[in-house]
Amino acid sequence: MERYDMIVIGAGPAGLSAAIEAAKCGIKPIVFDENARPGGQLFKQIHKFFGSKEHKAKMRGFNIGKELLEEAEKAGVKVELGATVTGLFDGKEVTVRIGDTIKHVQGDSILVATGASENMVNFDGWTLPGVIGAGAAQTMMNLHHVKPGERILMLGTGNVGLVVSYQLMQAGCEVVALVDAAPRVGGYGVHASKVARCGVPFYLSHTIVRAEGDDHVTGVVIGEVGPDWKVKPGTEKHFDVDTICLAVGLSPMAQLLSMAGCQMNDTKGGYVPVIDEDGMTSIDGIFSAGDVTGIEEASSAMIEGRISGLAVANYLGYIDEDEKQKRIGEQEKALDALRQGMFAPQNRGKKIEKTEEGIPVSENLLDKGYIADDEIARYPGVTRKKGIHPVIECTQNIPCNPCQDACKFGCISIGDNITSLPVVTEDSQCTGCGMCVASCSGQAIFLVEEDVEPGYGEVTMPYEFLPLPKKGDKGVALGRDGKVVCDAEVTKIRSAKAFDHTNLLTIKVPNDMLMKARFFKSQE
Amino acid sequence: MTDIQEVLNKIGPYEPAADDHLLVCRCEEVTKGEIRKAVHEGMFTIEELRRYLRCGMGLCQGQTCGKLVKGIVARELGVPVTEVTPATSRAPMRPTEMEIAGNDGGKKA
Amino acid sequence: MKRIKNHPILGETPERKIVHFTFDGKDMTGYEGEPIAAALKAAGVMVHRYTAKRHEPRGIFCAIGRCTDCVMIVNGKPNIRTCITPLEEGTDVKTQYGVSAERNE
Repeated sequence: MERYDMIVIGAGPAGLSAAIEAAKCGIKPIVFDENARPGGQLFKQIHKFFGSKEHKAKMRGFNIGKELLEEAEKAGVKVELGATVTGLFDGKEVTVRIGDTIKHVQGDSILVATGASENMVNFDGWTLPGVIGAGAAQTMMNLHHVKPGERILMLGTGNVGLVVSYQLMQAGCEVVALVDAAPRVGGYGVHASKVARCGVPFYLSHTIVRAEGDDHVTGVVIGEVGPDWKVKPGTEKHFDVDTICLAVGLSPMAQLLSMAGCQMNDTKGGYVPVIDEDGMTSIDGIFSAGDVTGIEEASSAMIEGRISGLAVANYLGYIDEDEKQKRIGEQEKALDALRQGMFAPQNRGKKIEKTEEGIPVSENLLDKGYIADDEIARYPGVTRKKGIHPVIECTQNIPCNPCQDACKFGCISIGDNITSLPVVTEDSQCTGCGMCVASCSGQAIFLVEEDVEPGYGEVTMPYEFLPLPKKGDKGVALGRDGKVVCDAEVTKIRSAKAFDHTNLLTIKVPNDMLMKARFFKSQE
Repeated sequence: MTDIQEVLNKIGPYEPAADDHLLVCRCEEVTKGEIRKAVHEGMFTIEELRRYLRCGMGLCQGQTCGKLVKGIVARELGVPVTEVTPATSRAPMRPTEMEIAGNDGGKKA
Repeated sequence: MKRIKNHPILGETPERKIVHFTFDGKDMTGYEGEPIAAALKAAGVMVHRYTAKRHEPRGIFCAIGRCTDCVMIVNGKPNIRTCITPLEEGTDVKTQYGVSAERNE
């Protein structure tokens, strides 16, 4: 039987990170992954990540994936693809299917980083072709360059539902509605806002009654749910769609750990292994990291992986305890920073009424996906003054600070607390460079300038769709709610390598629309 | 040890519901009603249900319906989902042809 | 058009080699190495199989090889997960009825 110092199961963000750290300590790990490509779900993530520099914030997921693969290669990590681990047994023995054979291998240590699988809901017609998981939509459009459908309804307003809705529009699909049985938007407000301002209606406290169609989906009926989670009669609404996308959460995929006999914990967040702070399970030498230990972001999975990789190195005697503690310390700090704010694991399910600054959270944002015009002025990033300046519509405490670093002129301040709302400083010297607009992973920063010509000002916004409008194009400006607020004309369009595919679109609108116009639609 | 009769007395008889026809296990085509009924016939764990109805025993091995089945059982028993005993995890974790499983390269008995 | 030719973030879709395959005897084309399911999706095929008990249509659901709903008869072999099986020149794909290749009436 082949033996390895370390067997890693899963070449996603956690598994690769663990293998990299272990390899840097001198271990020669083998990573098994059942897929044709490594990187887990990272290569489907085309949005910019949150966090700060050490978390690779403002980089797009697939580019983080590329970096991780390069790092793995440099460190000498061996990744075996198309290798499905089918069992994990006593004595840290693993069965892995490669092609048409099943091989038995043994490890002195095992790291299980198998990630998560999508939750599903059932309703009449949920088995019809055309009802798909949100992950399937991402896979089809972002990996295989095929549109999942033309007209799509999304169920679920967690980050996955919001992000995938936006990606569907980027791929050229129409999203007709976002539906969630919960009474509040579950994901980041900034993700909701960028979908809402494109004109997608949100239906909270609604669920799917049925999918319609004989051989495939041709329509969907939704209805409002009452306090008993049943649909209120008479509230049904029909949409013509060819695709229904389900984004109703993820569950850890921990069957291998349970099979191995690791002590498990059945929690609200799923069936997960009991692990210590280094990721070691109840079985000596079996470690676990990433979503399989509890659902979080890919950024956290990468850090957890690095911590476990170092712990494995210590377990196998490649580094001593002092060295381990020293190296893990930095990682733990980075991980702590990510686990702060309104969406931190410890706050899951809680309704948060006020920001850390004591500002009431926008009710409208939680209910409809956008901040109402009369709510926006209360946030510290939203200021009005003469001359060009940033307007930062960041209203929830999430761990993210690239905007602060992006501005070379000191206009934006977040401070040491990474979850604080960005503040636009009083005496700033904004030059309108737009670096902050492009740096904001939540696409929540706009540049506003009054009186560029008599009665008219300009709004600069992030724009990530095709075709790209041209200077002189006429159209309409849409408000935060996606409804037309006024006529608008494109005065400038900027694309730069540093913006990483976030184009800066500048439109001319009447002065009194500067705080309302947040999206642009060309006239057909 | 669970006293089956005691639990059955507590949860009462199976009452048909409007959504009983909904498929839960897509692979083996098992409905919500069948699962609910099985609970009232004394199947309280996922393991028992798998053997009784084959839900979660198809090609996907319960990857899709596992959580749904657990939810239905919990509601029927009136207990939190975390109190329903999950299915035992067994190899192989992914569909494997007998021919390939039979040629397993491990130690021969 | 179901193929994405140009994407605001991912850029232009790289040129790939076109291959010929058959779906229920009909000649079709797709790109070499892409999942069979992607080629079928691009060609507008929604139904991959009909189930054994209820004879209901099924198609792509998870697209990553977990749910097994997209299985078809590929080169005579049933229960092949088309979402993770690469398309090759001459691949023969058939709608699957039930769980075996025999009942492909």
